[in-house]
Amino acid sequence: MAPAEQPLPYAPKTNSISAFVEASPPSEGHRRSLSTVPTSKFADMSQPPPRPARSPLPHGFNAADMDRISDPNIKDQIASTGTGASSQHSSLSVPPPKVRYDPSLRRARKPRSQYPRSSTESHVEYILVASFDIDRGPIMEHQYPVAITGDEHMLAELMLPDQAHVRNQDWTVFFLHKDSSQEEDDAERQAKESRRARRRRRRDRAKGIIHESDDEEDGEEDDDDDDWDDDMSTDTEPEGGEGPPLVYVLNLVNTKQDKTVKRGAVVKAMAICTRHPFLHIYKPLLLLALEEYFKSPVPETLSMLFNAVNEMDLSLMPKLSLLERHLLQASDNKDLFVEKFERMIQARIAEETSEDVADQPFDASRSPPKRPGIFRSGTKSYIETHTGAYAVPRDTHEFESKVMYKGIPIPIKVPVAVMPETVGDFSLIKLIQNFSDSHAKSPQTFSLHPHLTTNGPNTHPIIVLVNALLTQKRVIFLGHNMPSGEVAEAVLAACALVSGGLLRGFTRHAFPYTDLTKIDDLLNVPGFIAGVTNPTFEHHPEWWDLLCDIPSGKMKISSKIESAPITEGLVYFQQQNPAYANFIHGASASSGSGGSSTAGAQTGDLTGDAAFMADMLRCIANRSGERVVRAKWREWVLKFTRIAAAFEETVFGASALYIGSEGENNDGSGMAAMGHGYVWADEATKAKELAGNVTRIEGWRNTRSYYSFIQDVAQSYTVRPLKGLDLAHMHDRLRTQKLSPQQSKEIFEAFYNYVWSYDEICLLLSVAPESHAGLFYVALGLFHKDRDVRMKTAELLDRIAEHEAGQHWWRSLSRFEKLAYVRIKKEMEQEGRTGRELGVVSPVDSKRVS
Amino acid sequence: MGAAFSMSSLFGKLFGSKEVRILMLGLDAAGKTTILYKLKLNQTMTTIPTVGFNVETFTYKNIKFNMWDVGGQDKIRPLWRHYYSGTQGLVFVVDSSDHARIDEARTELHRIINDREMADCLLLVFANKQDVDGAMKPNEVTEKLQLAKLKDKLWFVQPAIAIDGEGLTEGFGWLSDNIKKMPKYGGK
Repeated sequence: MAPAEQPLPYAPKTNSISAFVEASPPSEGHRRSLSTVPTSKFADMSQPPPRPARSPLPHGFNAADMDRISDPNIKDQIASTGTGASSQHSSLSVPPPKVRYDPSLRRARKPRSQYPRSSTESHVEYILVASFDIDRGPIMEHQYPVAITGDEHMLAELMLPDQAHVRNQDWTVFFLHKDSSQEEDDAERQAKESRRARRRRRRDRAKGIIHESDDEEDGEEDDDDDDWDDDMSTDTEPEGGEGPPLVYVLNLVNTKQDKTVKRGAVVKAMAICTRHPFLHIYKPLLLLALEEYFKSPVPETLSMLFNAVNEMDLSLMPKLSLLERHLLQASDNKDLFVEKFERMIQARIAEETSEDVADQPFDASRSPPKRPGIFRSGTKSYIETHTGAYAVPRDTHEFESKVMYKGIPIPIKVPVAVMPETVGDFSLIKLIQNFSDSHAKSPQTFSLHPHLTTNGPNTHPIIVLVNALLTQKRVIFLGHNMPSGEVAEAVLAACALVSGGLLRGFTRHAFPYTDLTKIDDLLNVPGFIAGVTNPTFEHHPEWWDLLCDIPSGKMKISSKIESAPITEGLVYFQQQNPAYANFIHGASASSGSGGSSTAGAQTGDLTGDAAFMADMLRCIANRSGERVVRAKWREWVLKFTRIAAAFEETVFGASALYIGSEGENNDGSGMAAMGHGYVWADEATKAKELAGNVTRIEGWRNTRSYYSFIQDVAQSYTVRPLKGLDLAHMHDRLRTQKLSPQQSKEIFEAFYNYVWSYDEICLLLSVAPESHAGLFYVALGLFHKDRDVRMKTAELLDRIAEHEAGQHWWRSLSRFEKLAYVRIKKEMEQEGRTGRELGVVSPVDSKRVS
Repeated sequence: MGAAFSMSSLFGKLFGSKEVRILMLGLDAAGKTTILYKLKLNQTMTTIPTVGFNVETFTYKNIKFNMWDVGGQDKIRPLWRHYYSGTQGLVFVVDSSDHARIDEARTELHRIINDREMADCLLLVFANKQDVDGAMKPNEVTEKLQLAKLKDKLWFVQPAIAIDGEGLTEGFGWLSDNIKKMPKYGGK
């Protein structure tokens, strides 16, 4: 761990946007011609496309369309793979929406692999073995394939966690910050170039052999290459940020009592170092390999594991965009994006077929080889007949693969949608319950700190924790007498909790398991999250700001915590809102002294956090799953960022937390659709909520996660669909405010006018998650008093129902609204009008915003 | 009788509830963990090398001891200092049969004792493994450790055979008597 490489929070890297634009080499330009942008029909050519287009597919080509598959058998099989497909026709017999064919609606994006076969990156980079030497303490025994750079003694110490001697087995997780030097970067770039050249040669060769007989497949192969290039150079979604990706280490330590050895025991640990955040999938393999190593402690045991895990094939796992990942993460639907998996398999089958052809170029008269079928994994037909064939996963949230270790197939499930800051396997529910249960029994009273106790001395501990992480405090999870693996889990869960998949910079400063040997390094990190098992940490309040004791479920704010400074923003807000000035002043004045002057003002739950936590706990008590809980936290974090944006706009007049084009309301779509930001029912509610949040917002405004969020907002703005519109704002207005028919009309019309493309529909779906009301508020337009709005809403729903993800939202629409939809469609048919003639705004105008 | 009983329980409330933090150090394989579990459980455990530390709480003579036993391998000795703050008593365990490393033990002991944070703490030395042939006698250990050099320090050397529990009671008897006299503990 090298926490020395601290990027200063004050110097956010601003090269991101320009770098990403320039990163696409001009030589590849011909592959990214604008003509392939699905929305090109309406595209204002002066604008760059929202993303570099990847698929040079002909217009009208639609990958989701079954017609492109020549073999009718496959067609049938594919149709049967989606388990929910039959429910499309509901009991109401609502016909699936009949839409005019418009390629712009669905983005025929070529599915890309998250881990393409052509990638040179290994799944696992190193395997390490350490042991506890009875004379010397922790030592490194073997490293494979090469010695990891850095302090190997430090690594050995981390691999042998405190008190490993009192349990037979323990897991730990820790992260390594590997600095990639300039040399390595250069080497990587060169390798990339030569790879590209090689591929181009191969492509040319392939063209020569296969020639024009199979254009489509040829095109697809080109695509694969493009994908790979894209992965390397122009992935525009915010991912890493602050530096080279972390190396995640999963470590297993075993203690074996052995009378025959000196001092009666052997303690050995084996670790897997990977850049995949889903490092937990390697657990079964480590168990087997460490057992093996006890029997034969030689480097070959390491190399056997290394080779086995790196042969794991994940190439059929489709790559999802950030929006898609978000939709998948928040959804319980096991079929969501199943089409992508199918397309990956189709592409693979096609590829293999073409390879077969290439093998025998002279036998032109041969009938094409029989193509293997696609099945849904776990289905009856799959198990009975085609265990060897390609299979679509049972649940699209998990990609199923296997690792062959010593001839035994070990099943592996890899999460398909991994949000930023989600590392390993953890449970938010477990974390929340751990610190809520004891609080419920005997409420904890905190000494006040403006950043932390936003609801007064009885602020819920989980909120205190989140506040501490938001405001970049030093947080320690202590689990005395616990396996260090459990402590690490709590740390990883806390990172995900505060990130919500939106904010970054937490895992990079997390030490899921650490011990006294690293304390000096740890204390050099401003703001960290660390997991320890040694209760000595509790005796050093100067080392931490918040101590979370896992066994007792209690949190403690350090007596030595730095008091919060009085900031400009706070002062301005007080001046602007004298009604709340007293309360805020009280909160900040009483910091450190532990005064209780604010108790009265704060019992009002200005932040709404008390209600939020009550709802969260009710939700957990009702056995809502982990996914629901994560989605709720994501909303909390999202809300916090939006409130912070509103705060900055209110107090400073501007905010970098939101980028949008204001003042583009001259195209006739009206004012109501053009607002942005968090929506409050009225001004008083807004002032109240801002007052509740002001101290922690001010605490957040100087942190790493704040600066990287600004960076992400700027970066995602360049790739985001519908730049000028805040769909969330519009949807929230429908949801929370009492609108006049004219106002709601403007919003519904804006949806109709602007939401067309694949990504735009994804965006709309993401602001109307299934876990809430889904499309309920959007579909309310079916009941608008203006007939025009009703029809446009029906049209919009058509588009959504055609969308790969939208179809699932459409299916779960309420009966009542579906009936209204049918009625309106009938009316429209009777009048013989098509949707295209509808509306005052022509599509060309409507596109000006995006 | 009844009055005396309530008096003693009051006494227990006043003092027994207060924890005394004891730090047990020494070279590796000196017998620290064996002593800890002999005191805590009154049984002899087969111990294996301590990875990190052990900590146990037990009551002896109305004093609640919070006793830390920290691994002694040479590479992890620099960590000892993190356990100093708040420590009221140091138990230093010496393998009396290990003539080769007694000087090493002395160096480590003086390094600990001279730390500012350990200025006020009591020092109990267990001259352990007296059952081994050729083991150094307590006075020899005292001499080799150069305890006479220590000024303003209460110290005591106790011969012991940890696996049998011999000498442990005596050692902790001295420790608890002197703890009660410490100003922090409300003693005279």
